[in-house]
Amino acid sequence: MYIGTEQLTHTYMPGTPFATEALQDITFNLKQGCFALIIGPSGSGKSTLIQHLNGLLKPTAGQVFFAGQSTGSDKKALLNLRKKIGLVFQMPEEQFFSETVFDEIAFAPRNQGLGEKEVAKRVSDAFKKTGLKSAGLLKRHPFQLSAGQKRLVAIAAVLSLNPEVLILDEPTVALDLESKNNLFNLLAKLNRKEGLTVIVSTHHLDDVAALADTALVLNQGRLMLWGPLEEVFSRRELLHEMGLSLPAVTEIMHSLAESGFPVNTAVYTIQKAQQEIMAAKKRG
Amino acid sequence: MARSITMGQYIPGDSIIHQLNPRFKIITLIMVLALLFLLETLAALVVSLCAALALFALAGVSFNYLLRGLRPILYISIFALIIYFFFTPGGVVLFRIGFLTVESEGVEQGIFIIARLVALVLFSLLVTLTTTPLSLTHGMAYFFSPLQRLGFPAEEMAMIMAVALRFIPTLMEESQRLMRAQQARGADFETGSIVKRARNLVPLIVPLFVSAFRRADELATAMEARGFRIGAKRTRMQDDRIAFKDWTALAVILVLIVLVLTFNF
Repeated sequence: MYIGTEQLTHTYMPGTPFATEALQDITFNLKQGCFALIIGPSGSGKSTLIQHLNGLLKPTAGQVFFAGQSTGSDKKALLNLRKKIGLVFQMPEEQFFSETVFDEIAFAPRNQGLGEKEVAKRVSDAFKKTGLKSAGLLKRHPFQLSAGQKRLVAIAAVLSLNPEVLILDEPTVALDLESKNNLFNLLAKLNRKEGLTVIVSTHHLDDVAALADTALVLNQGRLMLWGPLEEVFSRRELLHEMGLSLPAVTEIMHSLAESGFPVNTAVYTIQKAQQEIMAAKKRG
Repeated sequence: MARSITMGQYIPGDSIIHQLNPRFKIITLIMVLALLFLLETLAALVVSLCAALALFALAGVSFNYLLRGLRPILYISIFALIIYFFFTPGGVVLFRIGFLTVESEGVEQGIFIIARLVALVLFSLLVTLTTTPLSLTHGMAYFFSPLQRLGFPAEEMAMIMAVALRFIPTLMEESQRLMRAQQARGADFETGSIVKRARNLVPLIVPLFVSAFRRADELATAMEARGFRIGAKRTRMQDDRIAFKDWTALAVILVLIVLVLTFNF
């Protein structure tokens, strides 16, 4: 078990008329180096679950594990945990407060008490990883960037922690298609080349499904199912009941299969769908 | 606590006290507060305190909120008690500590002042805990509306108040979210000297301002899009006519006031 939870329950404002059970009895674990999706309609507890994984929220009951150990509630241990598990919040560009992109990305390493030389190295490394070009960008004001650039800078501002795990909460919200593709390329690269464990929460499965190998499905604070992506996606009816749909390509393949066309339905990209349909045609 | 409750915040319920007209509640509260200032005997104050507790029970508000609401006056109460106990001369000397003496007059006055303070807070809490901020604001606007003729923008003030109240929880939630987001980047809001801690707040305050301005701008556009204009006559969704139960409640309160006054001599 690399990262996971055991019977995790979280109640907001316990003991008041406003008490709400955000998470109930969540147990799962993920392998190092995996690419996991946390799927669920809005309000299903995705953000709450994510914030437990690096100790920002504390469980009302149950435990969170990282690298085989319970994360506990010791302040220093939690600070250390947050260096290893980077968390990119929803709309992360709303956290910007610095006057230059450089300072924004440097915030995390400076908080770790590193020297300016090491900080500069971390910043340029993180900046390069995101694929953003032109070093002149580092001197600009973060508010002058385009939406897509802002999002990438916000991710760089977490990557500068040098985390082992990168968690992103709805990272594609309010992005155009091109920025989304840039983001997916970045995530694929981080996962495959840099060996980062990546966890992405989303309610929209198009595109990102092709990158992932594991999925968790949350609904109304409960973990409905989790496991290898293909297994989870094979429970199409259950997902539909929760108002979730598979990637559009996969839905088309299911429709084809239902109407008697013998295709494999575990297909998440247009290219693969094309190949699959051609192959099925040849088979007759 | 992730989402905390502000002191005196409205607690939803459907008791008779929740249903009373806000204008009525404001008027009664003013009467009761005035009464509390006029009271001269401890007995009368104790009766008022009992009345307040009975009304809380009627409103079905949990005892916890009472204690939470009283917490802010804890220190001022202790401070006042010490001052009265040691520095008010008169009556019998109860005991001495060094050159300080505690005399019966001081003890009596100290307890009297605290009882009055607690009663004032309890009655005010009773109103704010059972009335939504919005209807309180409308209630206030009603009393200020005669001033509209003199050019006082009562309607607009009510709107400003309503909007401000509406956004308090939103901004609180936003600041907590931001705090966690910056903590995820290694920010520290809990340790260090005062100067350091103040400097550490920059990553919190700048984004909060940015988002508050953005929200204000969006809200203004949305209001204009729905036809809001300064100075236009507005109607309300909720009908806040005074009902029979309001008169009944007024009668009950008057009886209570007379009862309290009989203990005042």
